[in-house]
Amino acid sequence: MKTVSLSAPTRSSTVKFRMPTRDNLVPIRVDVEVDGQRYRDAFTWNPRDPDSEIISFAKRTAKDLKLPASFVPQMLQSIQGQLAEFRSYEGQEMQIKEKIMPLKIDLRVNNTLVRDQFLWDIGNLDSDPEEFARTLCDDLNITDPEVGPAIAVSIREQLYEIASQSVSAMREAKVSKKRRAPEFASNSKAMNNAVDMFKYFGSKGSVIRKRKEWYLYAPVVDVVPNEEVVVVDTTEGA
Amino acid sequence: MSPAAAGAASSGEAPPSRPKRELYTIPASSSWFRWDDIHETERSALPEFFGGPGGNSYGTASRNPRIYREYRDYIINKYREDPARRLTFTEVRKALVGDATLLRKLFGFLDSSGLINFSATSPRPVAQQPGLDAVLEAPVGLQVTPRPQVSYSVEERFGGGTGENVFRLPPLSSYVDVFGEWAPGKGPICAFCGVECKDGKVETLEDGFKVCSTCCKTNSDNEEANKCAGDKKESADNHASSAWTDAETLLLLEGVLKHGDDWDLITQHVRTKNKLECIARLIQLPFGEHMLGAINGKSDSRFQTSQTTDGKTNHYIVKDTSSQSNEMVDGMQIDGEQDGADKLVEEQPSKRQRLSSSIDVTGSLMEQLALLTTATSLDVVAAAAAASIKALGSENPQAKNAFHLSEKEYQGKTFSSNHIHESECNVGDQEGEMHGQTVPDKKLQKKYISTAYQVRAAVGTAVGVAAARAKMLVDQEEREIELLLASIIETQLRKIQYKIKHFEELELIMDQEYNTIQQIKESLINEWLKVLEQAFQAGVPIQRDEVLTKLFLNKSTP
Repeated sequence: MKTVSLSAPTRSSTVKFRMPTRDNLVPIRVDVEVDGQRYRDAFTWNPRDPDSEIISFAKRTAKDLKLPASFVPQMLQSIQGQLAEFRSYEGQEMQIKEKIMPLKIDLRVNNTLVRDQFLWDIGNLDSDPEEFARTLCDDLNITDPEVGPAIAVSIREQLYEIASQSVSAMREAKVSKKRRAPEFASNSKAMNNAVDMFKYFGSKGSVIRKRKEWYLYAPVVDVVPNEEVVVVDTTEGA
Repeated sequence: MSPAAAGAASSGEAPPSRPKRELYTIPASSSWFRWDDIHETERSALPEFFGGPGGNSYGTASRNPRIYREYRDYIINKYREDPARRLTFTEVRKALVGDATLLRKLFGFLDSSGLINFSATSPRPVAQQPGLDAVLEAPVGLQVTPRPQVSYSVEERFGGGTGENVFRLPPLSSYVDVFGEWAPGKGPICAFCGVECKDGKVETLEDGFKVCSTCCKTNSDNEEANKCAGDKKESADNHASSAWTDAETLLLLEGVLKHGDDWDLITQHVRTKNKLECIARLIQLPFGEHMLGAINGKSDSRFQTSQTTDGKTNHYIVKDTSSQSNEMVDGMQIDGEQDGADKLVEEQPSKRQRLSSSIDVTGSLMEQLALLTTATSLDVVAAAAAASIKALGSENPQAKNAFHLSEKEYQGKTFSSNHIHESECNVGDQEGEMHGQTVPDKKLQKKYISTAYQVRAAVGTAVGVAAARAKMLVDQEEREIELLLASIIETQLRKIQYKIKHFEELELIMDQEYNTIQQIKESLINEWLKVLEQAFQAGVPIQRDEVLTKLFLNKSTP
């Protein structure tokens, strides 16, 4: 049994494009401005849901937030556009292989600032950003209920970007194969960010990080008092 | 916890260079743990590292047993630096290189199996902020509690003919929940029937509802479900910052009536509570379902009364629908035509059964019984009815009287098939009521008694029919099983016979081969002897070969 799995490890496989997480949820970010009012939001959407859900969602959100009805078509357009983009990737092939990438979180949610970096295996289709974010919030005693979902969406956005890059890399690889051009040229670009596996996981390496590097991968959370939020906002806008 | 296990674990932990050994008391459930080995529990919990099911990437760079041990040992050592402190995943994560998802799974496994955080004194961070937890999983707060069976019992008990009173709106049974024990000068009010309990026979359920003794009985089935709901409710109560006063609840209700589901305005109306608390409170108030149930009951009753008034039209509907249904309805049709309006009235329940295709959870117990009864043939129903009436009669002579009375009436009306009528009278859910109407007014007192017994007989009939049907099915199944078993055994036997034949052939072949081999051996020995003889005659010394010959002879002779 063991020898079989050792001799033929499935190092990489191709699957149809999807989010490289357990739940195939698409991160959606909406930023709509109507008549001087601005609505910004981020959430996840199941692409299997019927599109009729979007309009009811938009209406409901506008009602809950007491936004004028003129927001609804814009929100609808924004969400539909992002879903359409996701669906344009679906059906194409994506390479799933172990690839550990550093993900960065740099968010401000209401009064909470979160900055963090951690490693994520793009090939792990069992990953769950929401659960990760929940653990993070629990561990750090973050009380604001909006922080967790925001972190999860941020993770999903980065995964989405990497996955879509992988799709285009696959396409390029196919084209270049036909031309008999060297293959690695297109691949190296996507790979340059990934963790050097051999360095840490090889027989000489160690998965225990050096103490002086800890600060890079530790989360930093700041709670800004209300007065300062305004200041941060203005600097962000500039 | 066996001390031996603790000793083993800690002795393995201390490196040989360090003379001082640290003793850790670990939970008994994790006594399988060894520093120098990976246990089966670990393999099955985290197949990613060991190539189990789902661990298809076994042998890749970042997932193998060696890496697993490195992670595991680091996390456990880290925890043991300060066992009283709870180690968090976020803390561990910064020191380990690897996939965050995988690390979190590993950490969760170590945490849940008691290898870390087993003697941490600081509580889980989750427990410190249940509010946050609740918000993250907001939809869980909405829960559907089973609808109490008030309406059923009311219908059954008063079904005889109290008319409009039966279907009055049950009073807001949330009264107790809303106003607590405050109501002055009154006994507690039953949460189910809404009647004031003056006799002091009150039972308090887990969730604070008071229930009078009669309802408590009917409710006993539901109690389990209620308990669960109660637990959840309690947990929800935990994070409500303060208790609700009567005035606040009133304000909340007013606000809901005035502003619909605009919670901001409602919150402004209540003022003393925030939005979340308002929503939680409204969800806790249980009267919504009671109201709904009451409305359903009312519409039901209207349906029935309309049926009784224009029975003529309904009769034709029955005709139409019964064209594809079984003889049961056919028989009733004949009767209906023969006996006129009275019979039509009796048919109503059956018609309703026809219309409602499957057993409906919201339907009354009697309806379900009636539906059960229609599942089998007439004769079975009749037999069951007769049996149940007989049993009831022997149980109580008064019951006999009741049935005697009603049967006499029937005999006056029926023309031939007595048993069909008996079954009919036991089928419908509103039977009792119908009989009551046919009996003259002077027999009013007896009417109720007979109704009660008829209901009981109906129950008996239904159960009997169901049992008969079940028995039939069981018999059928048994026969089927026997048949299948026989065929299986037969095939097995045939298979074995084939095998035996095959083996016999094989044996024959073997014997033949053995014989030929023996012959070859003998000829070989003869040749060998000949060679030896010739060599001897020629005078060639053959010392070396003697040993060989001996061996050969020794081997072949036995």
